[in-house]
Order: sequence, then structure tokens, then C-alpha cells
Amino acid sequence: MEELDLLKKSWKKDNQKFEQVSESQIYKMIHRISSSNVKWILIISILEFVAWTSISLCFNTDDYFKKLHAESFITFFKILNVINYAVIFWFIYKFYKNYVKISTTTSTKQLMTDILNTRKTVQYYVVYNLSMITVSMILGFILAYLYNPKFDTIKFQIAHDNYGVLFKMIGIFGGILFVFVFGFWLFYKLLYGILLRKLRGNYNELKKIE
Amino acid sequence: MSESLEQSFVKQLKENQNIVHKICRLYTVDSDSHNDLFQEITIQLWKAFPKFRGEAKFSTWAYRVALNTAITLYRKNTRSINTSSFENHKFFIAQEDYNPEEEEKLKLMYKAIHQLNDIDKALVFMYLEDKDYQEIAETLGISEVNARVKMNRIKTKLIKILNP
Repeated sequence: MEELDLLKKSWKKDNQKFEQVSESQIYKMIHRISSSNVKWILIISILEFVAWTSISLCFNTDDYFKKLHAESFITFFKILNVINYAVIFWFIYKFYKNYVKISTTTSTKQLMTDILNTRKTVQYYVVYNLSMITVSMILGFILAYLYNPKFDTIKFQIAHDNYGVLFKMIGIFGGILFVFVFGFWLFYKLLYGILLRKLRGNYNELKKIE
Repeated sequence: MSESLEQSFVKQLKENQNIVHKICRLYTVDSDSHNDLFQEITIQLWKAFPKFRGEAKFSTWAYRVALNTAITLYRKNTRSINTSSFENHKFFIAQEDYNPEEEEKLKLMYKAIHQLNDIDKALVFMYLEDKDYQEIAETLGISEVNARVKMNRIKTKLIKILNP
């Protein structure tokens, strides 16, 4: 077959015709798996942040405090809010840094360290969010207990040495708190767990090679 | 230790990258899918690299893994072949030995090869690489006789495609 022979002849000479891939491009290709995972962690954390912010915008806490005549708490909660936003921004910044690092690194050892760092950052992020939920729920409860007129009867009962009511109330609140924190924990486990597992798999694969 | 393994992989792949490019050339029709396939093959090679003990030449080992990758990938998504985007392909003609008539024939030939199925393309690749039938048979897991018969059928197919 004439054409096939012609092709075979030119095939050998074809070597110079391909745009050559550089070493750093090859490094990038083999690190791609991790970098796409870390990219998703970044995207999800930003989406989550946007979602929480828009939900919190729907509730006007200032009005709630005014209704309860607890104006002194407004400033306190504002400060708490600012701190919270600062911490979350710091986490998003960390995720971004991790992403940039992982997608540009050219050594396996560095990549392994970066993967471990990213996993740690995500774990801290989840722990922070869960403790923030716990703290704000406890604060909210204390606030409601002190200022909400609905608790007046209970307060009256406790004042009359009825500790059973106090324990019951704390028990119910503890239960609610547990359900909430557990629910959020599950939520985070699902949201970030899959990505973290993939990262760990990638890490183990790199370790095997070492 | 890990450094040297990764470095040696990257170095060897860089030196032998034309073999991967050539496989991409047969399996893809435009430069985007060429790059995608190149990247996919690189990842598969890297995953398989710990098992590569240096008994064979890197190029021999690499072309087998690369062909397997291309075959599985193109079996999964039986995308229809778009011959119109042929011109976009990363296929540069060296200026010194530019022969328009020959070049046209080669273009048609590539076009015809693109219409073959994934296994036939692998056979064509090994034929062009001057692999003997024993190696072709071994790589594809078929008998030597079967490989010869297949290659002859491919030639007939190509002739039919080129002279409809």
C-alpha cells in the first residue's frame, strides 16, 4: 500500500513536528489530581460563606435585641460578628494559598506537605465553625433566658427552689445543641469529607512512590 | 529517594514524549483533544511508573501503557470523529522538505486512519513504529496470525476509505 509506506517514511521524521512539552508542564500534569480537589475546597468554602451571609442578612438581630430591651448586646454581637468574618476570611485566604501552592509545586515532597497542610486547614475550619455554632447557641440561650418574657414562668419556678425545672431546661437545651452540632458536623463531613478522602488517597499514592 | 523517582520519570517522559504525541496524533483530530489525551496518558504513566522496573526500555513500556490508555478512553466515549477540524491539529510541516503533493496524501491518510476503530489504530501505530508481529500480538493479547490478518484487513479498509 503506497500511502501507508509514505506515511511510514514520514512517521520517522515526524519527531520534530510536535510542540514539545516541558518538564514543568509534566510536573503540573501529574499533580493535577490534588490541585483540582483543593480548588473544589476553595470554591465550596466560598459558596458556603456566601450562603451563610445571605441567610444571616434575612434575620435582623438588631431588631430582636431591641424588642427584648437588650440593646447592650448589640455592640457585643457586632464585635463578635466582625471577628467571625475576619476568621472566615482568613480561612478562605488560606484555602486560596493552598490551592496556588499545590497547583504550582514541582516536587513531590513539597506536594505531600501541602496536602497535609490543606487537610489540617480544613479540619481547623470545621472545628472552628462547630465551636462558633456552639458558642453562639449558648449565648443565644442565655440571652433569651435573661431577657425573653416567655421564660418568666420558668424563672419564677426556679426562684422557688425548683431545681428539677432548671435541670429539665438545661437538659432540653443540651439536647437541641447536640442535635444542631451533630447535624452541622454531618453536613461538613459530607461537604468536605469526600474531598479530604480523595486528597488522602492521593497522599498515600505519593507515599507509596516514595 | 522520591525526588529522584519523580525526576527520572519526568526526564524520561520528556525525552520520549514524541511516542505519546504520535499516539495522540492517531487518536485525536484537533489540538485540544490531543493535549487532553497527552495529559491523561501522562497521569496513567505516572500511576504505573512504580511498577516499571526498567526491564524493558522506557519507550517500550510507555507506548504500551499509552496505547492502553487511548484504547480504554476512546472505547468509553465512542465520540463520532469530526474530520472537519483536521486542520487545527498540531501537525507542523518542516519547511525544508515540504512537498505539497506528498503532504496532501499524508493528510488524507491521517483522515482515513481516524475513521478506524480504537484497536485498529493501535495496530497501525505499532506497524508504523516497525514493531514485529510477535510484539503486536503480545501487546494486544491476540495471536500472531490474528495480528497479521487484522493488519491486512486494515490495509484493505484504508484503501477502501481512500478510494471510495
